[in-house]
Amino acid sequence: MTHLVIAPIIIPLFAGALMMLLGERRRVLQTALGLAATAALVVVAAMLLLRADGASAAEVQLYRLGNWPSSFGIVLVLDRLSALMLVLASVLGLAAHVFALARWDRAGAHFHPLFQFQLMGLNGAFLAGDLFNLFVFFEVMLAASYGLALHGSGTARVRAGLHYIAINLAASLVFLVGVSVIYGVAGTLNMADLAARMHDIAAEDRALLETGCAILGVAFLIKAAMWPVGFWLPGTYGAASAPAAAILSLLSKVGIYAVLRLWLLLFGDEAGASSGFGGTWLMLGGLATIAFGSLAVLATQNMARLAGACVIVSSGTLLAALGAGQVAVTGGALFYMTSSVLAIAALFLLIELIERGREVGADVLAVTREAFGEGAEEEYLDDDEEIGVAIPAIMALLGLGFMACALLLAGLPPLSGFLAKFAILAPLIGTGADGLPATTWAVLAALILSGLACLIAMTRVGMDAFWAAPGPPPRVAMAEILPVAGLLALCLGLTLMAGPVMRYMHDTAAGLHAPAGYVGGVMRP
Amino acid sequence: MSDSLLLLSLVALPFLGALAASLLATHARNAAAYLAGGVALAGLALVWTAYPTISQGGVLRAEFAWVPQLGLNFVLRMDGLAWLFAGMVTGIGALVVVYARYYMSTEDPVPRFFAFLLAFMGAMCGLVLSGNLIQLAFFWEMTSLFSFLLIGYWHHTQAARDGARIALTVTATGGLCLFAGLLLIGHIVGSHDLDVVLASGDAIRNHPLYLPALVLVLLGALTKSAQFPFHFWLPHAMAAPTPVSAYLHSATLVKVGLFLMVRLWPVMAGTDAWFWIVGTAGLITLLVGAYVAIFQHDLKGLLAYSTISHLGLITLLLGLNSHLALVAAIFHILNHATFKASLFMAAGIIDHESGTRDIRRLSGLNRTMPFTGRLALVAAAAMAGVPLLNGFISKEMFFEEALSADGLLVLPLVAMLASAFSVTYSLRFIHGTFFGPDPQDLPRQPHEPPAWMRFPVEILVLGCIFVGVLPAATVGPFLDLAARSVLGEATPYYSLAVWHGVNLPLVMSMIALGGGVVLYMALQKHLRSGIEGPPLIRRLEGRRIFERALVFLSWRLARRLEGVLGTRRLQQQLRMVLLLALAAGGFAAWHRGVGPGNLVPQGVDPVIALVWVVGAACALGAAWQAKFHRFAAIMLLGGAGLVVCITFVWFSAPDLALTQLLVEVVTTVLLVLGLRWLPKRMDKPGATGVEVVTISRRLRDLAIAIAAGLGMAALAFAVMTRTPPDLLAQHFLARAYTEGGGTNVVNVILVDFRAFDTLGEIFVLGAVALTVFALLRRFRPAPESVEVPEQQRDQSARDAERPDRRDGDTVADWLLVPSVLTRLLFPVICILAVHLLLRGHDQPGGGFAAGLVASIAIILQYMIGGAAWTEEKLRVLPLRWMGTGLLLAGGVGLASLFFGMPFLTTYFAYADLPWIGRVPTASALLFDIGVFALVVGATVLMLIALAHQSVRGHRAERRAETAPRALVPGED
Repeated sequence: MTHLVIAPIIIPLFAGALMMLLGERRRVLQTALGLAATAALVVVAAMLLLRADGASAAEVQLYRLGNWPSSFGIVLVLDRLSALMLVLASVLGLAAHVFALARWDRAGAHFHPLFQFQLMGLNGAFLAGDLFNLFVFFEVMLAASYGLALHGSGTARVRAGLHYIAINLAASLVFLVGVSVIYGVAGTLNMADLAARMHDIAAEDRALLETGCAILGVAFLIKAAMWPVGFWLPGTYGAASAPAAAILSLLSKVGIYAVLRLWLLLFGDEAGASSGFGGTWLMLGGLATIAFGSLAVLATQNMARLAGACVIVSSGTLLAALGAGQVAVTGGALFYMTSSVLAIAALFLLIELIERGREVGADVLAVTREAFGEGAEEEYLDDDEEIGVAIPAIMALLGLGFMACALLLAGLPPLSGFLAKFAILAPLIGTGADGLPATTWAVLAALILSGLACLIAMTRVGMDAFWAAPGPPPRVAMAEILPVAGLLALCLGLTLMAGPVMRYMHDTAAGLHAPAGYVGGVMRP
Repeated sequence: MSDSLLLLSLVALPFLGALAASLLATHARNAAAYLAGGVALAGLALVWTAYPTISQGGVLRAEFAWVPQLGLNFVLRMDGLAWLFAGMVTGIGALVVVYARYYMSTEDPVPRFFAFLLAFMGAMCGLVLSGNLIQLAFFWEMTSLFSFLLIGYWHHTQAARDGARIALTVTATGGLCLFAGLLLIGHIVGSHDLDVVLASGDAIRNHPLYLPALVLVLLGALTKSAQFPFHFWLPHAMAAPTPVSAYLHSATLVKVGLFLMVRLWPVMAGTDAWFWIVGTAGLITLLVGAYVAIFQHDLKGLLAYSTISHLGLITLLLGLNSHLALVAAIFHILNHATFKASLFMAAGIIDHESGTRDIRRLSGLNRTMPFTGRLALVAAAAMAGVPLLNGFISKEMFFEEALSADGLLVLPLVAMLASAFSVTYSLRFIHGTFFGPDPQDLPRQPHEPPAWMRFPVEILVLGCIFVGVLPAATVGPFLDLAARSVLGEATPYYSLAVWHGVNLPLVMSMIALGGGVVLYMALQKHLRSGIEGPPLIRRLEGRRIFERALVFLSWRLARRLEGVLGTRRLQQQLRMVLLLALAAGGFAAWHRGVGPGNLVPQGVDPVIALVWVVGAACALGAAWQAKFHRFAAIMLLGGAGLVVCITFVWFSAPDLALTQLLVEVVTTVLLVLGLRWLPKRMDKPGATGVEVVTISRRLRDLAIAIAAGLGMAALAFAVMTRTPPDLLAQHFLARAYTEGGGTNVVNVILVDFRAFDTLGEIFVLGAVALTVFALLRRFRPAPESVEVPEQQRDQSARDAERPDRRDGDTVADWLLVPSVLTRLLFPVICILAVHLLLRGHDQPGGGFAAGLVASIAIILQYMIGGAAWTEEKLRVLPLRWMGTGLLLAGGVGLASLFFGMPFLTTYFAYADLPWIGRVPTASALLFDIGVFALVVGATVLMLIALAHQSVRGHRAERRAETAPRALVPGED
């Protein structure tokens, strides 16, 4: 079963290719194939997760493509982090896919193959052990995401989608420049090999290598939507169709993943003079991103854009936490990432259902009502107002879901958002007889205030949608409510099973912070 | 029953009950009420079960592993204080359930109501039983959440929505502060476990972080307990159904802040900071709350402000840093819960039976509701501190503490004043409602409520009397338990008795009673005038200030800042990308300084330099013309591409050159075909003078562009003047033939060493083609592009002028010579493609190049023959090609799995073919064929998408002439 490692790539690969042969007319067959593929991915990812977890902390699973040695062939590497990301991608994939089957897959051409390619790109990026291969899977992922972002057409979508394409082409260019410089200086593309060479790079070459890494980092940070290169995100995600937005929300985490993987690998303790390179900037960038994201959360009236702004906040939180460079904080950040990825995807799916029943632009009024409605004094209720209004079951479900998302994103209990913030903050604050350094204060303030911003904005929007001016209950298919419920149930599971989950995250973080295991595992003859 | 089971069920039962209630039918009011009541009573029974242990001074404790890595375990811990609170939460909860059953309208969907109520009860139990600070914060926010849902229960009214939103915003913000504060305590103590924290009082008080931690924790406690200046949310929360008010604002939600202060009192109190913050907040709240309460016309409003005032009293007691004051505080918490819950219920009964809560409209209800009137009278008297009732005793203790607080005369004076105010508003409540003439035109004819609705009030009022008359015998032991659990050995001696002899506190009580009555009589005229709001501070409304601030901060300011710090314009975003890349690269290079390379650059050859001058000119020209002359720009771009191609040839990279050339050709053609549908942009020279702003902006962009270009050049130079000791390429060169079986290293890399990259890239191409197709199928051109292009119009106009030609003749004319040539060339080009494909492994060529060549052949036919003609003769089904190609390439990779080798392992051998002889065959060739098919399919799909745009355009013109035909598979 050594070949299981490549299954997350080749399952969607063959599914997508077959779908193209089948053509769009055999819709039932296409749908069945797609469902089978996404479901199989979940199973495979779960198996890989168990396998990665079963290994000792330093061990990694290596898959040599074409049976060439790691020194010059392409390798796939599975460690706990990759396995975690694979599980996230497959779970999101299944949820979005099921959701799309209710209506969205018919909103434009070739949804199914593009969706499979999207999953293939994501999975490939998480498994890649080679910088250029990482680039290739970034491109697969992006090419498919262009299609998904534009899926369903319409002026707003095309405008936002074309912006997205332009920015990402620029980012890809930056990526290539970075990779070329790194290759030109270090002579290898294999990430583990690169990490091994890091220590002995000649003094006159080190600056150039770091330049390449910095430029490469910019490419990842564009994907992660760090301030000031993340303005594309709310517009694109907000305009994309719901299932596309749900899966796109993971794409920004791919940027985070790449930073996490490469930064800890290349600039860990064993990197000689380059150790810790850029950590301060990650932290600062993360803080700025949280600040901007919080402002964007508050300043937006449109629900989908609001969710997009939440993605920015979540990216910023992760960057700031990673920048701290502490094992336990990284572990907490991984927990946070898992929780926020699930929550944001659920939110994107949910928003479409909520908006479906409402008139266009209804939420634009939410803030204005709050701002100018303060004069309305209703001290006494009429008698008939003292009777509660029954909420239709579907609205109650949607409302409950929205509330759960709000709690998750604001970091309030009882769902995993609260624990996630605690998992970052508790080790960061640590214990001691002295005060706290300024950066810790900043992160503490940023996390608390961004949670507050989310809470205020989401209460505003949610109260308007469900309490003040509820539209007629939307027609919602079972296939649409189930994925949302499933994602939120996973968040509840994260809370209840926090112990084992956190243990996994801490093991992951420990492996990432001790790259010798990874390097040794990949470069073994 | 084991401790852990007891504690766990105390917390879990309400939540399970809530879940069950939410599943009930919309109007199952009896079932929901029985469920809720049963759960509350069961909770009370559980609390009582714990009494034997607690009364021995024991502590029940249950620990469940939750997140051990973070030192966070789920710890339930019941000591005297927690026991008392748990009893209050479940006991008053049960009474409220009974009350609510009769209060809520029959049409009300009450299962939802009871579900929220039970969930809130569960959160409260969890909070008071928390044995871990983080867990406490966890339940703390949950109480905020469920109180939000309860306050907003009648969400169809504006008042309920506003009340709920304000309550949530204030208390949840406080909760977040509390969370931060508790984290700081964790930093100081090294643990979040309550037992550990309670044992580290000195460490906390002496730590440099004590003050920030204190402020943050108190922000949480004071917001929750509605202390000045955060008190304003409480009156607005009165929009909730009365049972909710009776529950939340007497015994539970608002007491949580006090509970926390009592809980942490041993470790955080005792400092000046504590005294000043807590004491001041309590003092102001006590006075202001009582003052404002006098002037409320709404019964619930009056009770709300009186609640604020009493909470202030308790807070003040806690702030005094005295052990006796702490005992008094706990005692008053208990007393306030009983009389305030009963008063809220009484107010609800009045509202329910008479239809209004406005004191100005109510009067003389004593005649129609005598029994309720008496109950309310007793409860209000307890609130006013009349002797022989529970409120009196704790108030006496308060006076005594106020007197003994060192040297501050202001305390006893304020205490007395506030006490007088409380007498006044209590009088107003009773006198205004139950006495005086018969009421005029009330919405309903008042009468006594159902007996069961009055029952909870009776129980509570009985409690007030019993405690008031026999304090030591009734409440004494319980109070002692709670006080001891907080203070331990330090618990002072105190005496609970009605009569302590004539002393100063008694005198103060009498003065306050008399003063209150006098004040009430003096204010009669003012109150009857019906003016809203209290005199002097009418305009200082906390809520309005809060709303203004919130709208400003969370909306206007945020919007402005977002506009300043962000942008939605693509140009600026791209600029930021470029600048950030420049800054990052530049900083990294400058930071350490790039040393010289280990290679010596060769001299510049004038020929290639000249070629590059041409290329650079083309690139500059393309940028120059991009805005208004797109066609020219594309041509110039092609020129630059050709120069790159020549450069590859010059440096002996024929594979790259070939591929570059083909890519240039195909992309240029496709771009030009797409150009037709872009709306024209006209340069209007001289229409507007070039402004200074525009010039400076362009200069800035020019500077950025130059910087980026120079940076890129410097980077390239630096990289190319060095070679690392161990370069990947050396492996490829060494093994291409021996292990890959091909002499064309580039091709071996593409289809063997790094075939996985190639596989990925063909999927990129496939995805892009699908995207282009999907986008263009829905594409509706801009209005100005719909018309026939200018050139065609010209030609048609010429046709119209000449009598021998009909309209459209010129446009329809064949390009005879080119079309013959292209048709002749078609098989030739195809053979060339196959040739390139087959020889790829050893000589320049390969699947990608071959695919491009083949698609050029097809593009030529489309260009010259037109879409309709070509498709009649040559059906290319691009999706089939693409699918086949991808499957083939993937399948080759998969095949190696059956031989037990990893994905994409190649097989290489010589095959003996008849006539041809020994031919080197590698499985890589099959892979290459897959690449070929995909490239052909993808290119043709994009071509067709563009071509059919024109076909559709024409079709729209002559819709009737020809029936549309499905031209693309999957397209109808």
